[in-house]
Amino acid sequence: MLSTRKIIVVAIATASLSTMVACGSSSPAANPAASGGSSGGPAAGAPNLKGQSFSVLGQWTGAEQAAFQSVLDQFQKQTGATGTYTPTPGGDEATVLGAKVAGGAPPDVAILALPGAISQYASVKKLKPVSEAGQATVRANFADEWAKLASLDGTLYGVPVDASNKSTVWYNVKAFDTAGVTSAPTTWDGLLKNGKTLSDSGVTVPFSIAGGDGWTLTDWFENVYLRTAGVEMYDKLARHEIPWTDTSVTTALSTLKQLWGDPSLVGQPDTALKVAFPASVDNTFKAQPSSSVVYEGSFVATTIVGDKNPAKLGTDAKFFAFPSIARSKPVLEAGGDFAVGFTSNPAVQPFLSYLATPEAAKLLVSHDGSGFLSANKKLPSSSYADPTSGDLAQQIVEVGDNFRFDMSDQAPAEFGGTPNKGEWADLQTFLGNGDVAAAQQRLERDATAAKGWS
Amino acid sequence: MSHAIEASADTAAVPAGRASPAPRPRRAPGEARWLAVAFLAPALVLLSALVLYPAGYSFVRSLFGDDRAGGIGSFVALGNYREMFSDPGILKALKNNVIWVVVAPTVVTMVGLVFAVLSERIRWSTVFKTVLFMPMAISFLASGVTFEMLYSDQPSRGLANAVVVGIHDTFRPTAGYPNVHARDATVMTGSAAIGYTTIAGYSAAATVILPMAGLDLTTAPPSSAGPALLPAAGAGPGGLYGVIWNDFRPGGGGHGNTVDAGELGLGGMRVQAVRDGGGPADDKVVATATADAHGVFRFPTLTSGSYRLKLPASNFGAPYHGISWLGPNLITPAIIVAYLWVYAGFAMVLLAAGMASIPRDALEAARIDGATEWQVFRRVTAPLLAPVLLVVLVTLVINVLKVFDLVFIISQGAGANGHNADVLATQLYSAFSAQRYGLASAIGVVLVLLVLPAMAFNIRRFRREDR
Amino acid sequence: MSAAPPSDIVTGAINRGFAARASARLGGGVLRLVLIVVALLWLLPTFGLLVESLRDPAQFANGGWWNAISHPAQLTTGNYTALLKNHAITGSFFNTIKITVPATVAVVLIGSAAGYAFAWLEFPGRDWLFLLIVAMLVIPIQIAFVPVVKLFGSAGLTGSILSVILFHVAFGLPFAIFLLRNFFAGIPRDLLEAARMDGAREGRIFFRIVLPLGLPAIASLGIFQFLWVWNDLLVALIFQPKSEPLTFALASQTRQFGSSIDVLAPGAFLSLIVPLAVFLGFQRFFVQGVMAGSVK
Repeated sequence: MLSTRKIIVVAIATASLSTMVACGSSSPAANPAASGGSSGGPAAGAPNLKGQSFSVLGQWTGAEQAAFQSVLDQFQKQTGATGTYTPTPGGDEATVLGAKVAGGAPPDVAILALPGAISQYASVKKLKPVSEAGQATVRANFADEWAKLASLDGTLYGVPVDASNKSTVWYNVKAFDTAGVTSAPTTWDGLLKNGKTLSDSGVTVPFSIAGGDGWTLTDWFENVYLRTAGVEMYDKLARHEIPWTDTSVTTALSTLKQLWGDPSLVGQPDTALKVAFPASVDNTFKAQPSSSVVYEGSFVATTIVGDKNPAKLGTDAKFFAFPSIARSKPVLEAGGDFAVGFTSNPAVQPFLSYLATPEAAKLLVSHDGSGFLSANKKLPSSSYADPTSGDLAQQIVEVGDNFRFDMSDQAPAEFGGTPNKGEWADLQTFLGNGDVAAAQQRLERDATAAKGWS
Repeated sequence: MSHAIEASADTAAVPAGRASPAPRPRRAPGEARWLAVAFLAPALVLLSALVLYPAGYSFVRSLFGDDRAGGIGSFVALGNYREMFSDPGILKALKNNVIWVVVAPTVVTMVGLVFAVLSERIRWSTVFKTVLFMPMAISFLASGVTFEMLYSDQPSRGLANAVVVGIHDTFRPTAGYPNVHARDATVMTGSAAIGYTTIAGYSAAATVILPMAGLDLTTAPPSSAGPALLPAAGAGPGGLYGVIWNDFRPGGGGHGNTVDAGELGLGGMRVQAVRDGGGPADDKVVATATADAHGVFRFPTLTSGSYRLKLPASNFGAPYHGISWLGPNLITPAIIVAYLWVYAGFAMVLLAAGMASIPRDALEAARIDGATEWQVFRRVTAPLLAPVLLVVLVTLVINVLKVFDLVFIISQGAGANGHNADVLATQLYSAFSAQRYGLASAIGVVLVLLVLPAMAFNIRRFRREDR
Repeated sequence: MSAAPPSDIVTGAINRGFAARASARLGGGVLRLVLIVVALLWLLPTFGLLVESLRDPAQFANGGWWNAISHPAQLTTGNYTALLKNHAITGSFFNTIKITVPATVAVVLIGSAAGYAFAWLEFPGRDWLFLLIVAMLVIPIQIAFVPVVKLFGSAGLTGSILSVILFHVAFGLPFAIFLLRNFFAGIPRDLLEAARMDGAREGRIFFRIVLPLGLPAIASLGIFQFLWVWNDLLVALIFQPKSEPLTFALASQTRQFGSSIDVLAPGAFLSLIVPLAVFLGFQRFFVQGVMAGSVK
């Protein structure tokens, strides 16, 4: 419940606690090897980092933490360097990382979900550039767009770890059957028409909108905007190079209003505004569902399973791609986490390189219940624990560069990543009153007030 | 031993406020000073390094702007304070803080006092105290989540609303077909909220069809709904008649505006007839009928003329959903109740400790002299407890000024309404999370300034004591 | 000197007849009933949390915890076994104790000494210094994070358990001093004066008179400080001791994209055991009269 709130905020790695001590006291043979460790990635003959230790701190908990731990264990087996992972659950990540960096005790490695945060930390020289070996690994295994997201002025600072497919609409198969909806919609109009049919079949709230969590609303908007305005405009708006009062935003919000403004499709706005993300999923897939469709990223699957909903993934709970609007071409919205290095601890760069390998990706995604997906091209979709995850990841890999990263995650956290503030609050207000012009005014005002646009 | 009893019995008669006189030094002043240093040194060292220094740092920091990634920006003097006092969110938080400070400490202290006094007089006082203390021992995270669930809007999840709805439905059961609506706009106009009216007028010869939709097909249908039946022409007592049914067949495949097999009649629907052709003024209901289990309704008296049919909104009455505890108006009081639940134990334990310090002999003496319990409380307990009461009250005022965890967690249950519960500490936290350290520091400084009234109160008290 | 009760207490004795005794007895019954209701009301949220901790997570979305009372089949100990299966949880119990016990003992000792000085020793600027400390009560801990991380960094304390303990002690002291000063000030002056006349040193007075007499207050301070440190997560996250405390271990069991009541609820009860035991252990100090453990 609590821990879901700031999913998009920041993940962190922690300061190395005893690197220096460990270095001094380790066996004599270890040191020369360690100093040479940064020159080559583990793929090309694992470096000997025996005795080195570094600690990693991120926002992953539960099964995700267990999956990441298996990567750390494998890295230790190969190199001898011990990584300690500690999670900062809930809304504490940004607080902890910020305080540590500002306090002059920055972590060795951080895992950031916000490309905006990467460029901010890079711009004030808090991050170490990825080593040449690491760069080569990233170039070989990921589409260019992924590297671009973690770069500032052409320098690569981060390594993609996991990815999420944020253009997936999840539906309750039984509810569709009852309503006689036989095929998943491929167009926006089809989506609205199906909603009407579902409503007629007695579904109280056909579309479960998690209005209580502003970030889900930003994802709705971004998918619509990506389709009505196109990739280029999307990039401009993401950097706030065009104002939110632009007509392209008007079009997107008006389109969105066709769905959000219809109580027979989304229920009473007052009620929708109280629904948190996990509840929006549970409402769709619990024993007596009150909804049939929920839009959010691939991690909906994790919630269905984690909350022990009776719906079985792939048979009772399926997804379709976010529909095309006005004959827009297929395009994907993605999210994901990047590992960045804050210090020159000798284990850091080898570890970052290792994270970019298909081997590490396989450990992450094959762990039961982690829900991790990877954008790693070299990872076969058969590596996934279940076929649904395999399909989701396949889409991410196949689009290559034809995806855009979550826009609000690229914005300064003040605007795009804070509950009840900025974009989150403005879209919540819009969901409540449907006033397009007022929403644009507010969005523009808040975007202008926020500091730190890249 | 007797020495002690005598001395303490003496203080029993000392009125409030003079229980702690300053001692007259019996030693050389220099020696006392060194002693004081020895007793204070550990506390002062820790406090200056870890509390005072950061506080000073924050004050200076509050005068500087915020650069990227939490860096220190340029000198802005009072810029952060100006931003703070022009931010509607922070101003609302300030207002909420005032509500908190006015209400919470007094209520908690009073409740704690009542419990502390009353629990002295029962044999199971240990059990009682443990029960009241338990919320203190539960982490704020868990208590927050507990109350978030308790206040949930859904009566199926939140106990508060389950009780309210249960009581409401006992006295006013909701009837009708919530969520049922006209299948489309070809036959009727209107909405479930205002009711529906047919577009056309009908006369006795025709069979009126009123196709509806939205009956929940995933659960068992209500007993009032049976298989829909299209009444045959000419059958029955005559007059105007028709069928109102859920024009949707499970699994799809049904035809619109046609009574298909497997579709259900909406028994119990009330249908009204108004004269057709007149303007809006001629909206008088001339007859009312109720549909049977097959959805068939009849107006035997309407044998001539043209009529439009209406479905009053009462047919679609949505079930009562209870009170929105975390809505804009009730959210702060609701969280204060949670705070009371947690902190009543705190006040009670401290006040009970204070009462334990009151010499039994003074109480016993008063009782032996025949005082009623109320007199004992007013004349002996209350005056002696006054200093402790003050400690509890001041502590709670300060604690409430920076109340954070409960507000932060419970308000998440309110979703978009959550910001209505914001207090300064949550605003400080979000400024801190966004790495606006200058702004966060300014809010912190204002928090400290807000405690000045409480300090002034203390100064006055000291002065009184010194006299 | 002997106690001189106010005169109307004495007159009260004359009026106290049969009626008064009867109403007192009746009042006793009502009082008992009221307190039982209050206790049940206070227990209700905790009880709900307890039932929730024993429910099959698959049931959460379908209805509130009270459904489990009519359907006991929903109850399971699975949530607890799932938590305890994780060795990090059991190990973290000791780590939490390693932080909480020193932090509590230090606050009690240092706070008592300072509280005594403020109450009974005369030195210049005493009242102003005390007020400064009261003002420190309100300083939000977040404010201190950045400068203190710097400070600990330059002192070489980064990542040590000591850093967490020191921070908790420092932020526990203002309340400790405020509370104990006011309690100690209530100790009969003649008691201390007499001891001083007898030539007792301040240290002896502190240990033999003030500490025993202030025991109820010290015990309550101890239990609260214990609780605050026991349930802390944020401070531990910032200063990051190598050995993770219980709150860490519990938090890492929660799920990022779901409701985690099946972890939070049993976690709350697991972490409740120790503080509750401490409270019950300290209980007698709260109720014991001041004379019980007094001088000589």
